[in-house]
Amino acid sequence: MKRLLLSTVAFAALGAGTAMACEPDYTGVTLNVSTQNGPAIASALAAAAVGWEERTCGTVNVIEFPFGELYPKFLTAMSQQTGDFDVIGFVPAWLPDFSTFLSSMPAELQEGSNWDDIHPVYRERLMTWNGEVKSATMDGDMHMLNLRADLLDDADEQAAFDAAYGYPLAAPVTWAQYYDQAEFFHRPDDGLFGTAEAYRRGGQQFWYFFSHAASYTNNPSNPGSMFFDPETMDAQINNPGWLRALEEYKRGLDFNPPGALNNGSGDVRPLYAGGTVAMNIDWADSGVLGSTEGSIEGHVRTAMLPGSTEIWNHVSGEWDTFDEVVHSPFLAFGGWQLAVPADSENPEAAWDFVAEVISPEVSGQAIVTANSGVNPYRFSHYDNLENWSSVFSEEEAASYLGAQRASLDAPNVALDLRLPGFFSYTEILEIELSKALAGQVTPQEALDAIAEGWDALTDEFGRDTQLAAYRASVGLPPM
Amino acid sequence: MHGDAVRHDRVKYAFIWPAFIIVLVITIFPLIYALTVSFQSVRLVPPLPPRFVGFDNYVDILSSQRFWGSTWTTATIVFASVAFQYALGFLLALALHHNVRGSSLYRVVFLLPMFIAPVCVALIARMVFHPYLGPVNDAMVGLGFGNLPFLTEPALAIMVLISIETWQWTPFVTLLMLAGLQSMPSEVFEAARVDDIGPWRRFWDLTFPMLLPLSVAVIFIRLIEGFKVIDTVFVLTGGGPGTATETLTLFAYNEGFKKFNLGMTSALSFVFLIVVIVFGTIYLAAARRLMKRYA
Amino acid sequence: MENRSLRTIGLVGCLVWLFFSFFPLYWVFVTAFKPPLAVSQGATYIPFVDFQPTLQAFRDAFSGIRGDFFGPIVASISISVVATALSVFLGAMAAYSLVRFEFRIRLASGLTFGVISIGGFVLLNGAFDIDVPYALLIVLVLALVVSIWMNKYRLPGPVLGNNDVTFWFVSQRMFPPIVSAFALFLLYAEVGRAGFPLLDSFLGMVLAYTAFGLPFAVWLMRDFFSTVPVEVEEAAQVDNIGRMRIFIQIVLPMSLPGLLATSMIVLAFIWNEFLFALLLTSGDWQTLPILLAGQQSSRGDEWWAISVAALIAIIPMVVIAAILGRMMRSGLLSGSIK
Repeated sequence: MKRLLLSTVAFAALGAGTAMACEPDYTGVTLNVSTQNGPAIASALAAAAVGWEERTCGTVNVIEFPFGELYPKFLTAMSQQTGDFDVIGFVPAWLPDFSTFLSSMPAELQEGSNWDDIHPVYRERLMTWNGEVKSATMDGDMHMLNLRADLLDDADEQAAFDAAYGYPLAAPVTWAQYYDQAEFFHRPDDGLFGTAEAYRRGGQQFWYFFSHAASYTNNPSNPGSMFFDPETMDAQINNPGWLRALEEYKRGLDFNPPGALNNGSGDVRPLYAGGTVAMNIDWADSGVLGSTEGSIEGHVRTAMLPGSTEIWNHVSGEWDTFDEVVHSPFLAFGGWQLAVPADSENPEAAWDFVAEVISPEVSGQAIVTANSGVNPYRFSHYDNLENWSSVFSEEEAASYLGAQRASLDAPNVALDLRLPGFFSYTEILEIELSKALAGQVTPQEALDAIAEGWDALTDEFGRDTQLAAYRASVGLPPM
Repeated sequence: MHGDAVRHDRVKYAFIWPAFIIVLVITIFPLIYALTVSFQSVRLVPPLPPRFVGFDNYVDILSSQRFWGSTWTTATIVFASVAFQYALGFLLALALHHNVRGSSLYRVVFLLPMFIAPVCVALIARMVFHPYLGPVNDAMVGLGFGNLPFLTEPALAIMVLISIETWQWTPFVTLLMLAGLQSMPSEVFEAARVDDIGPWRRFWDLTFPMLLPLSVAVIFIRLIEGFKVIDTVFVLTGGGPGTATETLTLFAYNEGFKKFNLGMTSALSFVFLIVVIVFGTIYLAAARRLMKRYA
Repeated sequence: MENRSLRTIGLVGCLVWLFFSFFPLYWVFVTAFKPPLAVSQGATYIPFVDFQPTLQAFRDAFSGIRGDFFGPIVASISISVVATALSVFLGAMAAYSLVRFEFRIRLASGLTFGVISIGGFVLLNGAFDIDVPYALLIVLVLALVVSIWMNKYRLPGPVLGNNDVTFWFVSQRMFPPIVSAFALFLLYAEVGRAGFPLLDSFLGMVLAYTAFGLPFAVWLMRDFFSTVPVEVEEAAQVDNIGRMRIFIQIVLPMSLPGLLATSMIVLAFIWNEFLFALLLTSGDWQTLPILLAGQQSSRGDEWWAISVAALIAIIPMVVIAAILGRMMRSGLLSGSIK
């Protein structure tokens, strides 16, 4: 229905102003644009489609699938070259598996001020695979720490915290401080719990685990060694840094609401927005939810993920100590991307549509539209604070955007795992992780089992090709 | 007379061929494909050239603990829930058949669960069994049991899965048994009533034996459909913790649609098929003996 | 006396079950009217008392931001009604012939069919590089002709009867759908490349779902037909009425309760089918279960939205269940016929 409406609007515009030229002229072209079910992302694409249809006289058909089924749907369609989709909206972790079926971004889109406006972490890292730009980021995303000003700024709480822990109450800078605060605010009898993280198998749990692990394993002196040894492709996940991360991640269960083992990332958000927990770790969604539909409106504060003064060095086999806290904010998930499958019959029009969606004007509107699911990824997005007034108070907007910008700019930013066969790797991880969390095995046993499974997969897929892919994904030159 | 019989015999093909051809055309290619692929190592991601591996996939499956664990989980859920479904469904059908007060209302409400997509049922169940936002734990706390970890404790989670399956599919049994009760010839029962035979004996001597073939069919369909349980598990527990609540089809789904390890999934599907056929044959043989006893 | 107490037990049992099966539905119904905070801050039960109901979730659904509901509803209803009607009718035909006639199929000819079709396909497709649809068509015809021809001779080995044919139909439902859905998708894609698009088409979906529903229809209708007395048919046969007319005018009406029950079962299965719909449709013929699954969004379980979607999906089924339930009122049908 809506599509019909949209096309009639475009049609009416066409009829009304015959002088209006189609630029470029895509009359008769219908683009099938597919992504997850709305409103998030899909509504942003539909909104961009209106402008594009007016400009080019083409038609856009937004096709939605459940998030959990997007990967098989896209992969089967592209591998069989059914030509079903002209533009797909997907997540960076799938780029290695999809890249062979995707066309590259036209060179003219890879230059000019619009290109330079995209934050380099996205432009140079997440959008490229094997040296080619295969996708276009349309949404920036990373894990952040969401806090509540009504608790942090409360004078009584501050005094009580200082008395108990010997330092002032403020946004936690290290994971130790994070757990102090989680413990301090954990008051089940009052209906307030310390924190909320996702622990459910299939509920994006491993990204939360990675966010802890980045602080202890993303050693600045050995870039790209967080998941695998970039020389040998040996799994690093059972080293002492990861063990410490898992023990801490598991310890957090004590400060989560009951039943947290079955919480996915989707459960974590309303817990924070509804004021049930004092803080949570989440993508950018929690903040927006909290200040629009939540009961903590006006109190949303966002911070970069905590860091650490100790990072495991897998080369020396020792902990490296640092004088300053090193932040290794983890770009979990990495935001939605658009790409044009190679079997699309209208690649030019498709890339033109992609350019429309990610243009500063259209995307600048999308990031402040409720429920669009689009978060900032351009320099220009971070600068226009006043655009955010519909969502946030001034203080909220400053901390929300500041935390995102600071995460991207952090010198030791940690990128997500991107590797061919992503689901094979994460499946072993999820199973063993949930066993460790449920207490069926010890953390060390779980990590050893994961490492063993990962090494077996790497051998099965070909160690050399996987190594080359891994090095490319972390931005290291080929061996 | 002889020619007539042959002609009539011929007509039987006209009756059965349309169904036969449609089923054959739609199912034969998937079978051929799965069979050939199950002896190869085929992966869509990362794309590796297919290679013949003989029985390796089958050996891997049969020697993996995960397979036996998920078989056990599936069998527990299926047998327990089908037993409940049959007993409850038959009882409800009897009550409805004898026009219990308000039966026209029940008839519609009782059927509804069957018409809700399993993924929806699972989402609803997630809401109802939510650790502290859901009504069940609200009631549990009210009754003094405290918050029960319905979805994170494997034994409890399996009980929840069994009750969901029972909730959704008891209507299936009710509907068919009711139809069966209604198509039974009423003369027999009138005769029994005249002879003053009590309801208990009437049921065991007349109703139950007459509906035995239908019961066998109904249970059989529920068994083979039940073995494919996936959505509820996927949404409620994701198979966790670990693989404690993983069912066979969820296992196959992860291999096939997440990892696109097609060789392994195909082999798994055939092993699954064999498991179901084995259970099915044992069940049918037992059912036939039971039917003979009544015949 | 005993009858009275049994009736009371039956009534109490029905009421208990009514609560058990109705409470989740009630929960969905009220949740659809809840504002987000009435969900995220603990269980709330009664509108106006526990929370202030809102129509926001319905507005969201119908404004289209949660996906287009209208298209999938039309697609789901048309596909499932047509496929149900087809599979119940064809299934009833097959079931009837399985009840009234004797089939004798030699295991050897059945095995020959398997060997020719599988071996032939691998050979044609693998060695001679013939496209999948053509290779499949060739081996199907060839294997069928050969095995029918062989079946005429007294081959050694066991002979399969009607029970085995029925079992064959049902066994088609035993194969887990994951691989078959993917393989059917491959087949449809290949047929589409040969110039006959089946992916994302009404025909393709109806064909797949008819095959999907047939096994149930055959298996269930066989049991219902077996209770139909054969004498009426024999009388009609003496009057030289054709088998097809006997079937449609006499046999089908006599087993109407079974026919309705079977239709509802098949409809329920087709209405809720997910995996085939996911792979075989994209834009035009997407069905409701795909849309429903999509309500579990990345923003978390927005239960008010899920509830609205569930309600929308169930309304056509409530109507159908009410109609069929009315038709099944005991005595009304069976009594008038017998």
